[in-house]
Amino acid sequence: MATVTAPALRATLPGVLKHRAVRKLLLLALVAAVLAPLAHARWHSGTWPAALTVDLTDPLTHVSDWIIDNRDSHPLFLYFFGHISNGVVLSVRAVYLFLLAAGWAGVTALAAFVAWRTAGVRLALGTAAAFLTCGLLGMWVPTMQTLALMVVAVLASVAVGAVLGLAAGLSDRMDRALRPVLDTMQVLPAFAYLLPVVLVFGIGVPAAVLATVVYAAPPMARLTSLGLRGADKEVLEAVESLGATARQRLLTARIPLARRELLLGLNQTIMMALSMAVIASVIGGGGLGDRVYQALASVDVGAALAAGIPIVLLAVVLDRVTAAAGRGTEPAHGRPTTYALLAAAVAVAVAVRLAGRLDWPDAWTVAVAEPVNRVVDWMTDHLYSGVPVIGGTADWAGRFTTWVLDPVRDGLQGLPWWSVLLLVAALAWLIGTWRTALTAVLAMAAIGVLGVWEPSMDTLSQVLAAVAVTLVLGFATGVAAARDDRVERLLRPVLDVFQTMPQFVYLIPVVALFGVGRAPAVAAAVVYALPAVVRITTQGLRQVDPAALESARSLGATGGQQLRQVQLPLARPALLLALNQGVVLVLAVVIIGGLVGGGALGYDAVFGLAQGDLATGLVAGAAIVCLGLMLDRVTQPADRRAKKGA
Amino acid sequence: MTVLPNTPVFSVEGLWKVFGPKSERVPLDPELAALPAAELRSRTGCTAAVRDVSFDVRKGEVFVVMGLSGSGKSTLVRCLTRLIEPTAGAIAVDGEDVRAMDRTRLRELRRHRAAMVFQHFGLLPHRTVLDNVAYGLEIQGVGKAERRERAREVVTKVGLEGMEHRRPGQLSGGQRQRVGLARALAVDPEVLLFDEPFSALDPLIRRDMQEEVIRLHREEGRTMVFITHDLNEALKLGDRIALMRDGRVVQLGTPEEIVGSPADDYVREFVRDVPREQVLTVRTAMRAATHAEAGTGAAVTPDATVSEAIEAVARTGTPARVMDNGRCLGVVDSDALLGVVAGAAPGAAAGAEPRKEAV
Repeated sequence: MATVTAPALRATLPGVLKHRAVRKLLLLALVAAVLAPLAHARWHSGTWPAALTVDLTDPLTHVSDWIIDNRDSHPLFLYFFGHISNGVVLSVRAVYLFLLAAGWAGVTALAAFVAWRTAGVRLALGTAAAFLTCGLLGMWVPTMQTLALMVVAVLASVAVGAVLGLAAGLSDRMDRALRPVLDTMQVLPAFAYLLPVVLVFGIGVPAAVLATVVYAAPPMARLTSLGLRGADKEVLEAVESLGATARQRLLTARIPLARRELLLGLNQTIMMALSMAVIASVIGGGGLGDRVYQALASVDVGAALAAGIPIVLLAVVLDRVTAAAGRGTEPAHGRPTTYALLAAAVAVAVAVRLAGRLDWPDAWTVAVAEPVNRVVDWMTDHLYSGVPVIGGTADWAGRFTTWVLDPVRDGLQGLPWWSVLLLVAALAWLIGTWRTALTAVLAMAAIGVLGVWEPSMDTLSQVLAAVAVTLVLGFATGVAAARDDRVERLLRPVLDVFQTMPQFVYLIPVVALFGVGRAPAVAAAVVYALPAVVRITTQGLRQVDPAALESARSLGATGGQQLRQVQLPLARPALLLALNQGVVLVLAVVIIGGLVGGGALGYDAVFGLAQGDLATGLVAGAAIVCLGLMLDRVTQPADRRAKKGA
Repeated sequence: MTVLPNTPVFSVEGLWKVFGPKSERVPLDPELAALPAAELRSRTGCTAAVRDVSFDVRKGEVFVVMGLSGSGKSTLVRCLTRLIEPTAGAIAVDGEDVRAMDRTRLRELRRHRAAMVFQHFGLLPHRTVLDNVAYGLEIQGVGKAERRERAREVVTKVGLEGMEHRRPGQLSGGQRQRVGLARALAVDPEVLLFDEPFSALDPLIRRDMQEEVIRLHREEGRTMVFITHDLNEALKLGDRIALMRDGRVVQLGTPEEIVGSPADDYVREFVRDVPREQVLTVRTAMRAATHAEAGTGAAVTPDATVSEAIEAVARTGTPARVMDNGRCLGVVDSDALLGVVAGAAPGAAAGAEPRKEAV
């Protein structure tokens, strides 16, 4: 086979100009040859020229001041935002009081009952164990605070998402209008949502809940719309042929047919809401996230872990229970059993209440912070540096910073600004279309105009380093898992757990291992993005047409040849998707890394929030949005857009 | 029913369905209307799926629309109840103009008068067999007890007893299509529309289902419009067949007419491999009887197939008489019968001039 195609390849080599990528690059080079000298001559500087920036600090400060001054008097706040805010506060408090009134035993029993009903006995036991562990760690009250906030946020997100999804699923025009917005919201780091909400609502529970709703509603909307649109055309035609009215069609066919997607949407919304509810501690969300945030601020790893474990448990339990509901594999239960167990759960709640043990007994808590901190101290003493041969974790972090992060950052900041734009354009155009390239370049230019070129390049350098590490590790693991069933079986549970954990939690172990700084932020980003990259790579390689693989094998291709010549080329779309996802996920955590000394844009945003300097925070937030957009578009394959048009 | 016995159930006149931008101008413009498909597409961006089709579906008959994929037959049947909105032409059901119906009236048509069976069944996966069958009645607002009762009867009729509480996912293809058939039957429609109902099934199961349809038709005499791309299925089931190509009906007639006297080369090519002796009747090979012949020999009916006559002739060794109510219409001898099998023109045969219906 190779002998046949080789001459053919050589024959086309002179016609290299016919190649699409080469044509694109040549055209771009032509444009650059004209524009770059002009730009260079006019604004000669390495970084973004000051003449081209717009200082938004003053107007933004004005707006922020105006809102603070008028929050209690202006009709817009009194009659609109005020009501929303009060409604949120009231409902969160109502749920919280209910949870407290049910007592620890009641909540645990009820949660176990729900888990049993949807997912069977094993998950019910797991759920009960998870809640009891939260109590044991002395985190019952913060867990209930987070849960109360979550319940309200999830209900609101599902309502908003379902309504939007219904609109987009039933109306093509609505779908065309909503889809790009939802697509874009999907790729933005969670942090970017905090600042505008704080601007309007101030720091506190309402802002936290609303930021969570804005972050968590899109998946519900997307999946609702997807489910409604994905319904079997012939079934809908059959329903129509029987003379169903539009309402009958929706209620008896379209919504039931979309059940799987709706429940998947619920699952994703819950996971996103948990992730955001924890991050929203930065803007006064309270609960578990706040404990982690405070602990990280004082580098108290033990306390952070004590609050982090309940978050992870909550995430795993919520994910498994809602995912089981989506699969619809619940064992059939008779009604009597259901009522009996519900009665038992209520009885437990009442009994504990009557016994006057509503609050988690103090005597039953285990203080993990102390021993954990001792372990961390020991690690600091023994593992940070001076370990023979391999060095220490702090050494690694230091070396990574000196040898990788610093050169990349200095390189990016030293590059002339127009050449960065050119690089972005070239990359985006090669992978995608001229539209994605244009969006990417405009987003990048907007960062310059906002006047945050330097910190953005810093963030970008961290993202690039983290993405590089993620891809090397991810592709290697993915290839290994795709080629060996045993590796995949071993990896699967690990990936399952890692993919359900909120971003915030990843900061805890890296601080324990590497201290604070940019390297730990990068490490957290790598760990967070790795599972998705591994999973997409494995799936992509495994879904390669078995017939193509079989024919290669029948021609006597070796394992390596199969991988290089068949699997990798055919899995190209999946690999590009893995790259795209990797970039988006890495950015989200690199931004949060601002909390543990990652600096750059993330730090600006946190600083703005902490100091009430909303202007700085908002500019940083806008730059984060632009950076997210740019990174997504640069790595967006051309066919993803094309498919949408069809 | 108040409808006169000879009023056609469906009457289609000059029907067009054109997909594409400004499609309504195509049927109006004689020049565009005459263009072949590829040229029409390049000039207007439109695709004409159904072109100027006219036919009547008589009460109680099985009317088969047959053609290869892309010939427009599925579009045609969907136009009958306006699941696809026709571009031009007239459709009448029992003399009532379908295209003039408002939404309520159209819904009534779909609910009570015409029910459809689909190629991929179109069942609701989240409902049991019984609730799928009862779905049409539910749409009509029939109470739960009553619709289940009626659904149970129909489920029995199509041979699915004992499976009432399964989900479609737990059934085989043939069983699923029985559910689809039962769902259509449950609303007791005047006409059953079948859109290639058996092409997704295995050959053996397909034959079972064809027998089932023949049985139902014999028992109930319900009018059926049957879409298929399978010539044998068309010949087996159809009282009359409309053969479609590129959106037009190229020939409309009984199976015998289609096989015995193809309207053009396309149809001739199409029916080339059909075993003619099993489709053509003895009328095709009949000649006038001599006085001697009229008194003796095996007797066959005028509707008997040639292969039945061959058997009779081979058994007796003499020409067979074609007898209609005790009257001898003529005789068929071995030469004439062999001529039919060989595909020779039955020119000499008396009374066999193929009637060609207006298309």
